[in-house]
Amino acid sequence: MNQNRLASRREFLVKTGVSTAAANFLFALPSLGWAASSGTPKKKRMVFVFSPNGVIPQHFWPEQVGKDFELKRILQPLADFKNRMLTLHGVCNRIKGDGDGHMRGIGCLLTGIELFPGDVQGGSDTPAGWAKGISVDQHIKNHFQADPLTQTRFGSLEFGVMVPERADTWTRMSYAGPNQPVAPIDNPYLMFDKLYGQTKNRELLSSVLDDLTSDFKKVEQLISVEDRRLLQDHLTMVRDLEKELKMEQAQTSKRSDTATSDVGHAVPTLPANVEEVNNNIPQITKMQMDMLVSSFAADFARVATFQITNSVGEPKMKWLNIEEGHHHLSHEPDTNEEAYEKLIKINTWYCEQVAYLTKRLAETPEPDGNGTLLDNTTIVWTNELGKGNSHTRDNIPFVLVGEGCGFSMGRAIDYKGVPHNRLLMSFSESMGIPVKSFGNANYCGDGVLADLHT
Amino acid sequence: MVCFKLRTLFRGTILSILILNGLLKAQDGEKPIEPYAKQLQSTGEAIYKKQCASCHGASGEGVSGNYPDPLVGDSTVGELTKIIHDTMPEGEPHLCTGEDARAVAAYIHEEFYSPEAQSRRNPRKPSIARLTGNQLRQSLADLYARHAGIAEPQDKRGVKGLYFDGDRFKNENKKIDRIDKGIDFDFGKESPVADIKPESFYIYWEGSLLVERTGRYEIVVRSTCSFKMDFGKIDRLLIDNHVQSGDKTEFRESLYLTAGRVYPFKIDFIQRKRKTELPPAKVSLSWVPPGGVEQVIPEKNLIPSSGPGTFSLQSFVPPDDRSYGFDRGVAINKQWDESTTAAAIEFSTIVAKELWPRWMKKHKDEPNENRAQLKAFLRDLLQTAFRGPLDSELATVYVDRQVDKAEDDAEAIRRVLLLGLKSPRFLYPLADADKSVSQRAANRLTLTLMDGLPSDEWLLKRVEKNQLTNESQLREAASRMVRDYRVQAKMRDFFYEWLNLTHQSEITKSKELYPEYNAELIADLRGSLNEFLNSIMNDDKGDYRQLFLADWTFTTKRLAEFYGESWKPADEPKDGLQRSVASPTRHGVMTHPFLMSGLAYHDTTSPIHRGVFLIRFMLGRTLRPPNDAFSPLSPDLHPELTTRERVALQTSPDNCQACHSKINALGFVMENYDAVGRYRDSEKKKPIDASGSYRSRDDKVVEFKKAAELAEFLAHSPDSHRAFVNRAFQHFVKQSPDAFGPNTLRMLIEKFDRSGFNVRELISEIAVVASKPLVDFPSRSSTNTSQVNPTN
Repeated sequence: MNQNRLASRREFLVKTGVSTAAANFLFALPSLGWAASSGTPKKKRMVFVFSPNGVIPQHFWPEQVGKDFELKRILQPLADFKNRMLTLHGVCNRIKGDGDGHMRGIGCLLTGIELFPGDVQGGSDTPAGWAKGISVDQHIKNHFQADPLTQTRFGSLEFGVMVPERADTWTRMSYAGPNQPVAPIDNPYLMFDKLYGQTKNRELLSSVLDDLTSDFKKVEQLISVEDRRLLQDHLTMVRDLEKELKMEQAQTSKRSDTATSDVGHAVPTLPANVEEVNNNIPQITKMQMDMLVSSFAADFARVATFQITNSVGEPKMKWLNIEEGHHHLSHEPDTNEEAYEKLIKINTWYCEQVAYLTKRLAETPEPDGNGTLLDNTTIVWTNELGKGNSHTRDNIPFVLVGEGCGFSMGRAIDYKGVPHNRLLMSFSESMGIPVKSFGNANYCGDGVLADLHT
Repeated sequence: MVCFKLRTLFRGTILSILILNGLLKAQDGEKPIEPYAKQLQSTGEAIYKKQCASCHGASGEGVSGNYPDPLVGDSTVGELTKIIHDTMPEGEPHLCTGEDARAVAAYIHEEFYSPEAQSRRNPRKPSIARLTGNQLRQSLADLYARHAGIAEPQDKRGVKGLYFDGDRFKNENKKIDRIDKGIDFDFGKESPVADIKPESFYIYWEGSLLVERTGRYEIVVRSTCSFKMDFGKIDRLLIDNHVQSGDKTEFRESLYLTAGRVYPFKIDFIQRKRKTELPPAKVSLSWVPPGGVEQVIPEKNLIPSSGPGTFSLQSFVPPDDRSYGFDRGVAINKQWDESTTAAAIEFSTIVAKELWPRWMKKHKDEPNENRAQLKAFLRDLLQTAFRGPLDSELATVYVDRQVDKAEDDAEAIRRVLLLGLKSPRFLYPLADADKSVSQRAANRLTLTLMDGLPSDEWLLKRVEKNQLTNESQLREAASRMVRDYRVQAKMRDFFYEWLNLTHQSEITKSKELYPEYNAELIADLRGSLNEFLNSIMNDDKGDYRQLFLADWTFTTKRLAEFYGESWKPADEPKDGLQRSVASPTRHGVMTHPFLMSGLAYHDTTSPIHRGVFLIRFMLGRTLRPPNDAFSPLSPDLHPELTTRERVALQTSPDNCQACHSKINALGFVMENYDAVGRYRDSEKKKPIDASGSYRSRDDKVVEFKKAAELAEFLAHSPDSHRAFVNRAFQHFVKQSPDAFGPNTLRMLIEKFDRSGFNVRELISEIAVVASKPLVDFPSRSSTNTSQVNPTN
C-alpha cells in the first residue's frame, strides 16, 4: 500500500510537475498547508458532485443495510473504496411550491427551500424563478471564510461539465443567497485561468523577456540619441523584472528541495485546444477533476461543487455507444429493456467519474504529510431525482465517500423517508457549523440525522 | 519685497509699450532691433551684472541660498520695470529706479525672462515618449477594430425596437418596428403596442451606446420581466436575467468605457405567459456616468443600430505625468510596467475569444499546415500594433517562434501579445524611423487626432499607396478624420482641459442658500455645457468666438426652474436637453453656471478663483504661486462688506498685490454671477461693481465695465487666441509647439484667424504640423539629427 502510494505520488509529480514560478506564488499564500502551525485543527472539505435525471434504483441501492452490503452494478466502480463510503437511502426532497420536478430537484437540492414565483415554465406544474435561499456549500464556505483558520484563497470552487450556456433554474445548483444563483465554470481553461492565471502569466512573461530585451537594442537605433535615455530606463526596468522573476524561481526550487515531501500542489497541465462539445465530456470531466484535486492540494478552497451537465441534462454518451440523450432516455418506461440497460450504463459512467475523483484524492498526500486528501474530504454524489421516469424526489441518490465529515463509513443506511433538509443540517454540523435548521425550517424539526457517526 | 498697488500698476508708460513692440518685431524677424532698444539693453546688462546677478545668477537661473527660483515668466517689460523700480535690489530699491529699472527689465526680458527668450535659449525638438494611459486604451481599441471594424459616424439617435406578439422573435408576429428615444417603459398589465397580447410579448431592442467620456460607468437595467442584455458586441453577454424570479428587478454592471467609442448592445425583453399571476411589465435602461448620477440613458447617447464590436480596456492604468500641464508618457516605473502586462493579457483573452475564431471562419478554406493560419493572424495583428509592416526577422521572433512554443492556441496568442504589446515597437509610437513616409504620417495623424493607431481601411490604403507624403494629402486625411467620434472625444477632452474641468472636484453648495442645487442639477449643468461644446464641434464652421459670444445655451426643465426666465427653452418644453432662449447676460462658456459655480465657494463667489482661471486658462498667462497658504477671510467677520470689498481687503498687502492686482481685476468682472452662477445685480443691497481690467502681453491696459466687455475681449484678443491654440496643440500633440519650430504657434494662430476661428480646421492644422516627419532619426551611428521635410 505504502509502496503503491509512493509510486503514484512520484507519477503524480512527474506528470504534473511543479512550475517553479507558480509554486512560489502559491507558497506565498498565507493559507498554505505547511505554513499553518501544527496546532491548527485538521482540515475538513466537501465536494458535491451532481449527475442528472435520477438513477435506476434496482441497480443502484444496496439491498442490505449496515456494514455488510453488496454494491450493485452502478456503484461497482467504487468497489475499492467500499469501506470508505456511505449510501443513504430514504432521504427525500420534500420541498413543494412553484417549479417542475427537475427545477425543484436541482434548485432545492442543496438549498432545502422553495423557489420564488417566476416565469420559467417546466414540463408540468407552475412556473418558477430562483431558489429562495443559500445552498449548503455556500453556507459552509461563508463560515470557513469568516474564520482565519479555515479561510482560503477562493473559499469555494464551482466546477461544471458541459453546462448549457443558459442561466435558468435547471442549470444552477449552488446559491450564494436568495435569488443569487452561482454559475459553475464549465470551461477548463477558464477554470485554469481563475486558479493559476496569474502564475501562468508570470511564467509566460518570464519566458518572453529574453526576446523582448534583445529587440530593445534594435529599436534604439530608430530614435535619436537624446531620446534613448527613456528607452534605456525602460530596458533597465525590464532587466530588473527578469532578475526578479529568476530570483523567484531560484527561491522556489530551493524551497521545494527542502520540502520535497510536501509538494502537493502542482499546477496541472491541460491538454491543448479541447473544445466544449458533447464528445469531449470524458476529457473535460477529467481535466476539471484534476484541477479540483490540485486546488484542494494547494488549499485554494475547501468546498466545491462539481456539476456534470444540468438537471434535465442531455449528454449523448457516444463513447458508450449510446446515441440518445440522457434525459430523453430517462423518460422511457422500465419495460423498455434497451433504454433501461443504457440508463444503467450511463449511471455507471457517472460513478466511474466519482471513483476517479475518489482515487485522485486518495493518492494525493495532504500538504502537511499527514495522510491523503481523501482522509479529510467527503464527496457527496447526488442527483435531482430519485428515478427518471417517475420524477420522484423520494430516495434522492446520496452516496458519500471519504472522511471529511467524520462520519462512520463503510455502511449502507436506510432512513426510510426523512426530509433531505436534515441531511443538509448534518453536513453543516459535521463541518463545525451546527444549525437549528437549514432551508425551510418546517422540514428540520427532528434535527440532524442519527446514525451518521456511529 | 514686491510691492506695488493696484492703481499704480496702470501707470504704464508709453515708452515701455514702444520698447516692447520693438522687441516683438525683432523676434518675428521682420525688423532689426531699433538702436535705442539695443542701447537700453546693453545698459541693462551692465546694471544687471553689477546689482542683480549675485542673487539671480548670470542668466537669471537663480542662486541657491539667495534667490533660487529662475527668473522666467510672462510679465511685460512695463510690469517688470515697475517691480524693479519699486523693490529691487532687495532692501535697497533706491539703487535701481526709473530709466535704470527700465533698462534692466528690457535686458532680462529679451535675454532670458520671456517665454520667447526661453524657447530661444533652449530650443526644443519633438521628443520620444511612451504611450500615455489614454493612448494605450485607444490604441488597443483600434487594434481590436482593425479586425472587427469601426462604427461610422451617423446622425440618427435612439434605439431600434421590434415588438412581437408572443414571447419569441417570429417575423410574422412582429407588430411594430420603430425607433424609441430610450428605454424607459411601464406597460403595467397593458399591451405595449396595439395587436399584442399583454400576457405574452417580446421586445427586441438593438442599438449602440456612444460614450463621450472615458471612465467607469455603471449600466443599470430595471426589469420586472425576463431579459438578456449583450453589450460591447452582439453575443457578448453582459446581463443574463433569463429567469424572472421573485422581486429581483434591478441589475447593475460596472464597466470601464473609452471615449469616442461606440458600444453595440441588444436587449431581449420577454413577458412570458404563465399559469400564475402575471407581474406588471416595466423596464428601463440607465447608466451612472463617471462622477455623475443615475439617469435613463439619454437619446443623444444612443444610436439606433448596432455596429461592430468594441474593446475597452478594463485593467488599471496609472495616471500620467502632468508636470507640463498635459499628459506625457515619460514615467517609466514598475506600476506602469505591470499595467502593460495586465493590458496585454486582457487583450489577448478577447483576441482568443472573439478575433481568432472570426479569422478562422474567414480563412477556413485556406491551408493551415504547421498552424499557418494562427501565425498569419498574429502577424497581421502585430503589423497593426507595430504601425507598419513586419519584416521576416521580426515575424520570426515575435510570432513564429512564440507560436511554436505553445501548443494551445489561446496560450500562443497570449505569448505573442505579451511579447508584442510590451515591446517598444508598440509602446513607443514615434520610434518608427524604419517605416515609410506615409506610414509615419499616418501614425502621427492617428496619434495626434485620436490617441490611437492607424487601423481604418481607407487610411491604410493611403499608406500602402504612399499617398501621405505632402501637406495637402495630410490635410485632406486630417479633415476627413476630424468628423470621427474618436476625434470628437479628444476635442471634448481638450475643451475640458482648456476650461480646467478635467480634474474638477465635486461641487457642493450651501443647502440653506441653494436647497435645489443638488447632484441632479449639477448633472444637468454638465450636460448643458457638454451639449454646447458639442454644438461647436459638430458645426462645420464651429467658431471659437461663439464660446464667448453665444447668448444661448442648452437647458432642461430643471435648469429653467432653477435659473429662471433666461433659461427657458426656445421651443416647446420637452424632456432632456434643448436650446434655450437668448439672454443679454449670457456669454458662452464664460458665464456658464457649471464653470461659475465650480469657481466659487459653497455660499459666496470667489473672484480669486475666477481671476486665476481667466488669466491662466483663458489668457494663457503665468502666475507665481502665492507666497503662503491663506484661507479666505470669513464673510462673517465683515458682514457689511461685499465679496469684492472683502477680497480687496484681504489681498491689499503689498506682497499680495504683485499677482492679485492682475487676478482680482479679472475676477471682479464676473461678480454679477453668484456662487451658483445665477445672474445678480446686487449683493448685500449694494449694486454689483463688475469693473476690472487686464494688461495684455503687448503691455496695453484694457478696461472692462462688465462681463459682456470681457467676453468680447476674450473672443478677439490675441492673448486668448494664443492660449487656445497653444493648449490645443499641447493637448493633441503632447509636445510644445516650439518643438516643431519657433514659428509654429504664430503660424497656427494666423491660420486660425484666417479660417474665421474654425476650431475643427485648427485641430486639423495641428495634426498636419505634427504629422510632417520633421525630424529624421538616422538609423546608424550618426549622432546628429537633421531636419528633413518630406514635402520639399
